[in-house]
Amino acid sequence: MLNVAIVGCGKIADAHAYQIERIAGCRIVAVCDTEPLMARQLADRFQVPRYFTDLTELLNESKPDVVHITTPPESHFKIASVCIERGCHVYVEKPFTLNYPDAQRLIALAEHHKRKLTAGHDGQFGHATRRMRTLVQSGYLGGAPVHIESYYCYELGDSGYVRALLSDKQHWVRRLPGKLLHNIISHGVAKVAEFMTSDAPQVVAHGFVSPFLKQRGEAEIIDELRVIISDGGATTAYFTFSSQMRPALHQLRVFGPKNGLILDQDQETLIKLRGGRLKSYLEKFIPPVDLARQYLGNFSQNVRSFLARDFHMTAGMH
Amino acid sequence: MIDETAIVRPDDLILVTGATGFIGTKLVENLLDRGFRRLRCFSRPSSSMEKLDALSERFRGRAEIQLLKGNLLRREDCLAAAKDVAVVYHLAAGAGEKSFPDAFMNSVVTTRNLLDACLQQGVPRRFVNVSSFTVYSNLEKPKGRLLDESCPLEFHPERVSDAYCYAKVKQDELVTEYGKQHGIPYVVVRPGSVYGPGKKQITGRIGVDTFGIFLHLGGGNRIQFTYIDNCADAIALAGLKAGIDGEVFNIVDDDLPTSRAFLRLYKRNVRSFASVYIPHAISYLLCRLWEKYSAWSFGQLPPVFNRRRWHAEMKRTSYSNAKLKTRLGWAPKVSMEEGLKRFFQGCRETGQHA
Repeated sequence: MLNVAIVGCGKIADAHAYQIERIAGCRIVAVCDTEPLMARQLADRFQVPRYFTDLTELLNESKPDVVHITTPPESHFKIASVCIERGCHVYVEKPFTLNYPDAQRLIALAEHHKRKLTAGHDGQFGHATRRMRTLVQSGYLGGAPVHIESYYCYELGDSGYVRALLSDKQHWVRRLPGKLLHNIISHGVAKVAEFMTSDAPQVVAHGFVSPFLKQRGEAEIIDELRVIISDGGATTAYFTFSSQMRPALHQLRVFGPKNGLILDQDQETLIKLRGGRLKSYLEKFIPPVDLARQYLGNFSQNVRSFLARDFHMTAGMH
Repeated sequence: MIDETAIVRPDDLILVTGATGFIGTKLVENLLDRGFRRLRCFSRPSSSMEKLDALSERFRGRAEIQLLKGNLLRREDCLAAAKDVAVVYHLAAGAGEKSFPDAFMNSVVTTRNLLDACLQQGVPRRFVNVSSFTVYSNLEKPKGRLLDESCPLEFHPERVSDAYCYAKVKQDELVTEYGKQHGIPYVVVRPGSVYGPGKKQITGRIGVDTFGIFLHLGGGNRIQFTYIDNCADAIALAGLKAGIDGEVFNIVDDDLPTSRAFLRLYKRNVRSFASVYIPHAISYLLCRLWEKYSAWSFGQLPPVFNRRRWHAEMKRTSYSNAKLKTRLGWAPKVSMEEGLKRFFQGCRETGQHA
């Protein structure tokens, strides 16, 4: 039996707890939050035997094998370091750390202690994403990706979250070095990073405050971002983050020397784009039929996964 | 006018949290109309101050309205809010939150912070905790029985799959605990479905809009409506009357309409739309199936429809405001007929409707 602890008992901790409960051979042995009421409510709702307000006490008394860290981002590095040093495998919610050097140090620490360390990019492990990975590994693209496009959008709208973020100058998202972008874009960037060979690619970024936010008197929070990434000429990528474009895509397009793929995370669809062209008017008639067949296949696959009770919204954490 | 027996005087400072909300604004107006001259109105930084500004203007020179923006999750903001207050009306809550942790944090943690601040700044003469009907359990109650203040609270709120219900049950427990352990004099008020101009949604006890078709679930059930002015009046009295510490009051109006009657009037007076009546036996069966499927599929569909919730919201129940009338001397100033007329008119004028 794998003993799991959750540190940080806010909104995202619920998703972790639900997914941990689904895994045979796993149990949540303790939860921790500096706010005792929050720790108690999570323990109460998931029948967790112990709750703590102090991480050291949790590690000493509950001795977890795995720790899920779902605290605010600025605490990730410190908590993860302590857990790894105490021999735990660690799952860190995104954003992984506040900066690149901290991420490097944390990875080195995990390697040194031979512990597993995971960043919480659960979108990387959805059904369609895994199918895409299998295809790429089988050589479907015909070689290394030539170009990648990643869209990761976020509808700001007029939600309570937006109102709180805009009106509260002490909001925790504002305290992050990259503010809103820092909290969200790593999901979309991780999809690009998977296919880049360089750890330090060239990056040209253009960010700005959308007219939507400007109208609300906001000048600090960048919610539109366009990025060009190049890892020395072999592979290039565009990354787009937008709070305003519709549809608010969560999509990855990967183009190889022979074929391409389009992954839609929201719809859980994966579409193959064949590189060759048909003769004359056939190119106008045959490919739409093939696309229709592929979408039907995706629909069928999604229905089968749902009926097999394997289609949970946060299944990527599983 | 202020009752001679009230526990506060006209110049005592009164705190209203959630003061910019639907009920909060009306409560502030009610207290000002009663002749109270010092009100501290606490609200989130993101709240619109339009209505409170209008009240400030209307009562200029007659009352001091302190507009205090802050976050009850911050203890320093709570200390500022609780300083020198004689009565606290605590309306702020995590209403509308679907996430359990968010609802809990914005209802329970905030309430704890405010209660702690009250202990530090001097215990007020009364802490009025605004709760909800959602805290009651109907599970073991026979169909049609009276639901009043003596009925049990939901003992497994986490199983109702309603974040607001869970948070409100825990909030009530906390207030009671502080009352017992720290001697904070409190009163709990539980409004039913508060309606009036400005309210957009039809309560879920009548039905739910699903994929463009309104599923009418309430049928012949009486809906525990309270018109906004009547509700604010009852809440105001709960903070003023002597000799009611530790008591609970349900707030419902007289002449409660059935769900079917309300829906008919709504369609006739506001807008027409398609609705399908789901008999109670069918809705119970669907809730049971949904609950079973949710458990079998490890939450692939969250158990938002379940038997506990059906018992709480769909089971035929009658309501009473007898305690409110006898102990607080409350009587609804706006009749159901007049209240519904104003509500429908408000919906038509603003174009805001379900």
